[in-house]
Amino acid sequence: MTAAADPGAKPRWARHLPPSHPHGVFLVCWLLGGLLGAFIVVPLLALAATPSAASLAAAARTADLWQALRLSLEAALLTAIVAGLLGVPLAYLLARSDFRGKSLVAAIVDLPLAVPHTVAGIALLLVLGRDGIVGAPAAAIFGLRFWGTLAGIVAAMLFVSVPYTVNAARIGFEGVDPRLEKIARTLGLGPWHTCLRITLPLARRSILTGLTLTYARSISEFGAVMILAYYPMTAPVRIYTLFVGSGLDEAAAASVMLLAVSLALFILFRRLAFGNGIGAMGSR
Amino acid sequence: MTAGIVAVENLSLRLGAFALKQLDFAVAPGEILAILGPNGAGKSVTLETIAGFHRLDRGRIAIGGREVTRLPPERRNIGLLFQDFGLFPHLTVAANIGVGLRRPRRRLPRRSLAELLADLGIAHLARRHPAALSPGEKQRVALARALATEPDLFLFDEPFSALDAQTRERLRGDLEKFLRSAGVPAIFVTHDHDDALALADRIMILRDGAIVQSGPAATVFAAPADRFVAEFVGFDNILPGRIAGRSGDVLTVAVADQLIDVAAANVADGCARAVWLCIRAEDIDLHPSRHAHGAGARLAARVVVLRDAGMLTRIVLDCGFPLQVCAMARHVREMGLTIGAEIGAGLMPGAVHVIPIGEPATDPVAAFNDASEC
Repeated sequence: MTAAADPGAKPRWARHLPPSHPHGVFLVCWLLGGLLGAFIVVPLLALAATPSAASLAAAARTADLWQALRLSLEAALLTAIVAGLLGVPLAYLLARSDFRGKSLVAAIVDLPLAVPHTVAGIALLLVLGRDGIVGAPAAAIFGLRFWGTLAGIVAAMLFVSVPYTVNAARIGFEGVDPRLEKIARTLGLGPWHTCLRITLPLARRSILTGLTLTYARSISEFGAVMILAYYPMTAPVRIYTLFVGSGLDEAAAASVMLLAVSLALFILFRRLAFGNGIGAMGSR
Repeated sequence: MTAGIVAVENLSLRLGAFALKQLDFAVAPGEILAILGPNGAGKSVTLETIAGFHRLDRGRIAIGGREVTRLPPERRNIGLLFQDFGLFPHLTVAANIGVGLRRPRRRLPRRSLAELLADLGIAHLARRHPAALSPGEKQRVALARALATEPDLFLFDEPFSALDAQTRERLRGDLEKFLRSAGVPAIFVTHDHDDALALADRIMILRDGAIVQSGPAATVFAAPADRFVAEFVGFDNILPGRIAGRSGDVLTVAVADQLIDVAAANVADGCARAVWLCIRAEDIDLHPSRHAHGAGARLAARVVVLRDAGMLTRIVLDCGFPLQVCAMARHVREMGLTIGAEIGAGLMPGAVHVIPIGEPATDPVAAFNDASEC
């Protein structure tokens, strides 16, 4: 019997699959998934290939571009820290206690995901701006101004990206068996120690995933930041002004810089947090 | 209050639609109490309340001779174990056990970690994580962790329900040895009467948040207080009957059209009183002849169902009422039993437990008067 006539022969693409797998289903999934993957990767590759070496070098020598980039990274880091401080406790409440209006609170947390970011920026401006009910007293009493400042950028970033932290941390807390907490109590740990030594460490992966997503989403934020704090310019705002003012080539060069830096940081964070690369996002 | 004793008095609490109703019980030092009941009876809530996770509406709890009613769980000095042993997955075995050792509040002198690990034969596991342990090792680590805090009481919630039958039996043996040598009172919750019978000194049966019966394990299993308990502790035959006569301690009970003599010193009631006759399938003898000789009742029966269950054969007899019987397969073969065979079903007087239906005989004088009318 020749190999070609062997009825058990698999097509080349299916050779590594166990015999029981539904090859047809996988074939279709590979095709569609590959299409999606190409949709994400091809534009980014095109972007990376667009700027000439000269314009890249010119962009890299532009001081205000580096400044904008640094500001973006700093603001996103601050945002992730604030999101952790305010979002993780709320996530713990949503996961571990029952109260009236809990589902309403959960829906409110998700609200920023549904609000267009320019709309979010205008809403924030009304509250945090010069005459806003928070902005005015904050400026008068603490000297904390949200318009045209780092604080404003962080506020805008926080509004649009904090849901990722709350939701991921909530899932993490919900995944911790309450019986482990009970056992910790009987072993002599008080409620605070139980939370810090048992619950938090067990939810650590999910919390870090949420913070990483918040961080990444903050770096990319444009709409809300532009309205609340056009100046000082974050990298996305600066790239927009380049696109409008100087044309595609310079904007593309700056974009490549932002892309490279934020991608590198994203991978670094995941390695620090999970001991691996981008491969294991969200997996346990 | 005596030192070492665990006492629960009048414990009542409401949790939504569920309530625990005036639970009263005590566990002596070294004693093992099993709380038995169907799902939703309140077993786990009772355990968690003793551990301090629910606020009482009324009543008090003392552990180790110390009132703990208002203390939080971390100050009650108890060891709690769950079915999957509840090891902290992010900590090594040594760190798991160390969790309880770091707190300064413990009263008794602490054993060193190494000594404890060696005692339980788990020293070689100290650096492993729980995911890398077998069920037996997990149980030992969980016990060591609880023991490290020198608890006054062990609480077990369905300790074996996640295990296969073989492992279950082995761990049950390990646990019993451990508890007997630790000398610490223990309460465990289970819905498995095998676990209860194998481990417990005393058994308490819960239903809808109230105690239905409690007593020495053997007593509860032999003499259930009502039909619910009888079913729960595994009586296969619970037959409705009526008292037809009495001579001394022997009652004659009519079931369908058969008369059955039973020893029933526990029943003081008189004539015509409705009763349940409870008979375990394995306590019925099969005889080729329908006529009794010697003690005990002999019922005329016809074989209706024969079902092979390995070493045993499950049989349903028609005696005017259905009777479940369980016999050694070899015995059934030797008798040459077939469906439709006419045989005798023998009941030794002690094999039948009688439960009066309706009002219990709380007034001994009235009960005596009733009885004398027979």
